[in-house]
Amino acid sequence: MTVLPALLALVPTDHFLIMALYAVLVSAFFAILWREDRRERWKLFAILVAALVGGGLAVAWLMYPFPK
Amino acid sequence: MSAPATATSAATPGRSPYLAMILAWLVPGLGHYYLGLRRRAAAFAVIVVVTFVLGLSFQGRLYSIEQGQPLTILATFAVFGTGLLNIAARLFSENPGGTILSVTYEYGCAYLLTAGLMNLLLVLDAWDIATGRKR
Repeated sequence: MTVLPALLALVPTDHFLIMALYAVLVSAFFAILWREDRRERWKLFAILVAALVGGGLAVAWLMYPFPK
Repeated sequence: MSAPATATSAATPGRSPYLAMILAWLVPGLGHYYLGLRRRAAAFAVIVVVTFVLGLSFQGRLYSIEQGQPLTILATFAVFGTGLLNIAARLFSENPGGTILSVTYEYGCAYLLTAGLMNLLLVLDAWDIATGRKR
């Protein structure tokens, strides 16, 4: 697919990077949507990023003994 | 979400909740821009558009309803949440079905679905702000 071809070369294929990027985008969205105060937004953003990335790593670790 | 008749006095004056919802669906952030929340609108627009474009770049799939696959109804509803972005992508993309063998295919699907669902939340948020239920 040739969507923004110049940017395609920059698109990551590293699984952790893609997951972390997803966590950042979703966390920023909900921090802005749910909080109005600047400090509260940053606090929620940090909590959500930590929960999403940490949760992803925890699930990956739990699945490690079951590769198939 | 409640009817406009139950709106409080804090409703955005001179702004139609229905128009705010339609604009919010058509272009991410436009509903909030219409309601005068320009910085918030810009932030939402950047987040949703970046998520959607990354989903396409990861060769995710722009879902369509398929017979015998009931979950594609939900997925199609989610992807259509991005309004004009989704329509433009379907018109101009060389590969709207994605590349299932790509290592990033599943991520791409997740990004595209999330972008649509986030924009649907923005539609509801625009309604709440326009009717005074939220600032």
